[in-house]
This record gives sequence, structure tokens and C-alpha cells, in this order.
Amino acid sequence: MKRTVEIVWGVLIVLTIFAYLLGKLHLASGFMVGVLLFTTFVKGQLVIDYFMGMKNVSLRYRLIPTIWLVVVISSIAVSYYL
Amino acid sequence: MAKSVIIKEPYPPGDFAIWLVIYVELVTFGFMFLGYAFSRHADVVLFNKSQLLLNQTSGFIDTLILITGSYFIVKAVNLVKNAKGEQIIKEANQKASKWIAASVLFGCLFLINKLLEFSDIFGQGISLGTNKFFMFYLLLTMFHFMHVTLGTIILFNIFRRTKASAYSAENSRGIETGAVYWHLVDVLWIVLFPLIYIIR
Repeated sequence: MKRTVEIVWGVLIVLTIFAYLLGKLHLASGFMVGVLLFTTFVKGQLVIDYFMGMKNVSLRYRLIPTIWLVVVISSIAVSYYL
Repeated sequence: MAKSVIIKEPYPPGDFAIWLVIYVELVTFGFMFLGYAFSRHADVVLFNKSQLLLNQTSGFIDTLILITGSYFIVKAVNLVKNAKGEQIIKEANQKASKWIAASVLFGCLFLINKLLEFSDIFGQGISLGTNKFFMFYLLLTMFHFMHVTLGTIILFNIFRRTKASAYSAENSRGIETGAVYWHLVDVLWIVLFPLIYIIR
């Protein structure tokens, strides 16, 4: 439990390396864009919950940045696959 | 089996006014991200061709810098939020000042890296008027650059306050306010990086 922040930081770094490799290996198209956008959502939500400290905040406030993230990322997906 | 009950905080950390700023920033950047995404949909060939001129490694380094800077700030906030008693408050602030100094350094590294990237882009004769891709790229990254600049200045002020042992369990709102602003800048870049630099 004490190492939660370190674990979150580690996950964020790993997912960033994953995104970079997708770009470098020219794999960031088609189905993989969906995967990339999902990992982007996970990264954003981790920062909101554990870095911003929203995990233990009343749901009505916690949901505002989460809804923003869902709307923006889903719209990007819609524009890509349209 | 004992059940642990987590009591939810009624309000988000930091000053409420910063959250109003954060909501406005989220909406503004949200519209710009969607503007980019749907403009790309209308001219995929131009966007993919133009994107090849960007330095993905630079965007990757920027992401690592921001995420790690955010981690340093969380460490600093956790130290002072649990500090009670004069001696402990002083020690916690001294330790927190080192984490904040590291985050200021990372903020500066981001700005330097971005300036090098802009210099490279402008060196290729690219400007806001080159095409729609570069209009969005320059608007989004420069607007974000301004936010990182402001965030770094705020963090530097927090650094000075930790040097004066100003924060404690009873008085942590200032450092939390600066911290959530920095994390906002981080969240925005987390979306911007794959959108502009990676997706093809």
C-alpha cells in the first residue's frame, strides 16, 4: 500500500514507452489506435486518482475529470474509425 | 473479517478556485483536441504526411519528464500533509523542498526540450500558416508550453515556501493547489502526446 505512488509512476512510464514504441515501429494505426487510446485513458485516470488525489474524493467531483477524459478519448476514437 | 471504511473527502484537494480554472482548461483543451481529431479525419493524408516531420522522441521525453515531475510533487505533498509538531513540520518541509526543487528542474527541462523542438520546426520554415496540421500542432503545444511555464513558476514559489517551513498537516492547501495545477498540465499532455505525435 505504501508503494502505491511508485507503482502508479512505474505503470505510467511503461505505458508511455508502449505508446512511443507503437509510433517508432509504425504500428499506431487501425486496431492498435484503439489499444493506444485505452492505455491513454488508463494513464489519465491514474494521474487523476492517485496524483491529483481524487480517488478518495466525493464521486460528484471525482467524476468531472473522468467524464472529460471519457468524452475526449471516445470522440478521438469516433473521429478515427468514422 | 474486519472491514475497512474509507471516508470520502467532500471536496477535491487544493483551493476551490483552482478547480474552476481546471474545468475551464479541460473544456478549452477538449475542444482543441476534438478540433484536431475531426480536422484530421477530413484530411488524413495531409496530417499523416506532416506528422512525419515531428520528433516523436522529443514528445516521448517530454512525457517522461512531466510524469516524473508529477511523481516528485506527490512525494512532497504527502510529506507535508502528514507533518504535525514543530520539529516534524520543519523536517518534512526540508525534505519536501528537495522533491519540489527536482520538479522545478524537470519543468525547466521540459521547457528547454520544447524550445529545441520549436527551433527545429521553425528552422524547417514551418509556421502556423503552413497547413492545418501545423496550425493545430503549434497552437496546442505552445498553449501547453505556456501552462508548463506558469506551473514551473508556481512550483518555484512553493519551493520558497517549503524553505520557510510554511506547510503542515493543518496548512497544506497552498502546496495542494499548485500540485493539482501541475497534474492538470500532465493529464493534458498525456492526451496530446499520442493524439499529435503517435496516431496515424
